[in-house]
Amino acid sequence: MILLFIALPLIVAGILPLVGKFSKSFLPDLLANGVFAVLVAAAVFSARPLIGNGPVVQTLSWLGESVNIQLALDGLSVLMLFVIALVSLASGLFSINYMEHYGGKANFYALFLIMVAGMNGLVLTTDLFNIYLFLEVAAVASYALVAFGLEHDELEASFKYLMLSAVASAFILLSIAVIFGLTGGLSFEAVSGGLASLDVKYPMAICAAFFILGFGLKAALIPFHAWLPDAHPSAPAPISAMLSGLLIKVSGVYALTRVFIGVLGLTPALSKVLMWLGVISLVAAAFLALGQKDIKRMLAYSSISQVGLIVLGIGLGTPLGILGGLFHLFNHALAKGLLFLNSGSIMQSTGTRNLDEMGGLARRMPFTAATTLVGSLSIAGVPPLNGFWSKLIIIVALVQANQWAFAVIAVLASVLTLWYYLLIQRKAFFGKLGERWKDVKEAPFWMTASTAGLALLCIGTGVFFALTVKDWIQPAADTLANGIQAMFSSLGF
Amino acid sequence: MIVQIALLAGLVVFSALAVLARDLLKAAIALAVASLLLGILFFLMNAPYVGAFEISVVAGLITVLFMTTIALTKAEGDVRESKAARWAFPLFFAVFLIIDILVMKGLIGKIPALASPPEEGTFGETLWKMRTFDLVGQIAVIFAGVFAVLALFRKRSKDE
Repeated sequence: MILLFIALPLIVAGILPLVGKFSKSFLPDLLANGVFAVLVAAAVFSARPLIGNGPVVQTLSWLGESVNIQLALDGLSVLMLFVIALVSLASGLFSINYMEHYGGKANFYALFLIMVAGMNGLVLTTDLFNIYLFLEVAAVASYALVAFGLEHDELEASFKYLMLSAVASAFILLSIAVIFGLTGGLSFEAVSGGLASLDVKYPMAICAAFFILGFGLKAALIPFHAWLPDAHPSAPAPISAMLSGLLIKVSGVYALTRVFIGVLGLTPALSKVLMWLGVISLVAAAFLALGQKDIKRMLAYSSISQVGLIVLGIGLGTPLGILGGLFHLFNHALAKGLLFLNSGSIMQSTGTRNLDEMGGLARRMPFTAATTLVGSLSIAGVPPLNGFWSKLIIIVALVQANQWAFAVIAVLASVLTLWYYLLIQRKAFFGKLGERWKDVKEAPFWMTASTAGLALLCIGTGVFFALTVKDWIQPAADTLANGIQAMFSSLGF
Repeated sequence: MIVQIALLAGLVVFSALAVLARDLLKAAIALAVASLLLGILFFLMNAPYVGAFEISVVAGLITVLFMTTIALTKAEGDVRESKAARWAFPLFFAVFLIIDILVMKGLIGKIPALASPPEEGTFGETLWKMRTFDLVGQIAVIFAGVFAVLALFRKRSKDE
């Protein structure tokens, strides 16, 4: 069953270009969004109950003979599968109207589905080399998706992204190779067990540095962020939502967390490095966001900043810090997905991304304005929205661990975040409606519906945050707190 | 040992040439030579399958693809490069080499001999039975590459 998360999107992606020959738009829309809906349902109704008694490791068989495909489902992977499916569904529904004028919809969805399959594979695997492989699957699809508009800027951004991402992959692969050389194994269990019995401080320090560099580049932590403010705004809006909402988190934060906390073990020195990287990203990117005029660029810088906060929480390494970090990852995926989709609505209705040219759009686009407000306040951490709770948990965790300086910086950065999100609201939606925009119309049905859904989720997870934390976030945090050995030992491996 | 060092030195020189050569064709050839040397090194270090793949795919197939592409594209509209690129790479390369020479030997000395043997089995067994999941990933990468080409070289619709 677990293989469904990888196989289904991959198979449908394989047939989509053929389907595209018969139906330009309807069938690709239906098939792709059908897959996303099935994945959401599978995560909620099938994957989560499956881990009721602890993590599950499945080894698949093919025609009666067991093949070495080992997939693990634990609290963290279920959370990731759920959030990937949710944001994909919202972006997929949004694409029904939005991607109409780009052409090549079947190919678009095929790449989209491969990116999702790559992320799901990354989340489910128990093997270091497979982490690299699925990282590349998602990345190759995303390079093409960033350039999908085929304009000069998009191609340039995609190329820059490709180059820096290749550097990241090279470092990750190198580190995996060294670890393989040291331990003779690639599975999490073998590596974790092998390293425990070896005295390899220096080589491991270099491996850790390479992993931080590689995953840091993928997560766009400052100073490895140069590609993101070009790549994310250049992509079509639903892809920006996927990249900022999911990809940087799955191939950056998730992989980093899994490798460091789950496999290699988080040492105090590593924890410090991650926290510093997190806090530098959090603050510097917030200042950079303030100066932006392009709404998508501002959102992109905001992503760097919020990923910084997530890494700060997870890097702290205490159970509460990890919980807060993962909860913020979940909340940010929903809210940033929502905001990038809305930037697409604005762009399609007005033809511009420049905040200075907008003004008073709330009158013409009430739904977009309202949902943008929800997303903005959520990321800025205004109660009772979901972002408030996750930020609160991170700050409480920092205080509990006596990291007062980091806690104060996190609070101040939240104020900065609120500031630039209010700037978006003021410049784009409030004030007098410009003469240019008097004929602007609200976004079409599917675009509004998908953003409304995400906004409701932001409000829902905020109001019922205790329930969300209990059902989804706590099991994920527990998984990390227990480490990888617990997962295998519980199954008698 | 001397053969290995000579091959490694050649590998470094030709890899650097591949980056530094202004002529694309020369860069592609330098890359092919570099991967040929790497393939021979793999053979010498008892990794015949990797060596065979390196030589046939990277030195052979990819070089052919590069050359075809270079032959099919016109050399018009040269992109002007910033001057920084001309000295940044050699500088970085020199610094890297110095650090490499100073640090690597000591570091390798600290790495203990492998505690357990690497994953065993014949090539076929390794590929089909032990690394089956890699094949799923490979299929996905190939899909991604093919659809990327289809998407990026698609015909624009009329209204664009």
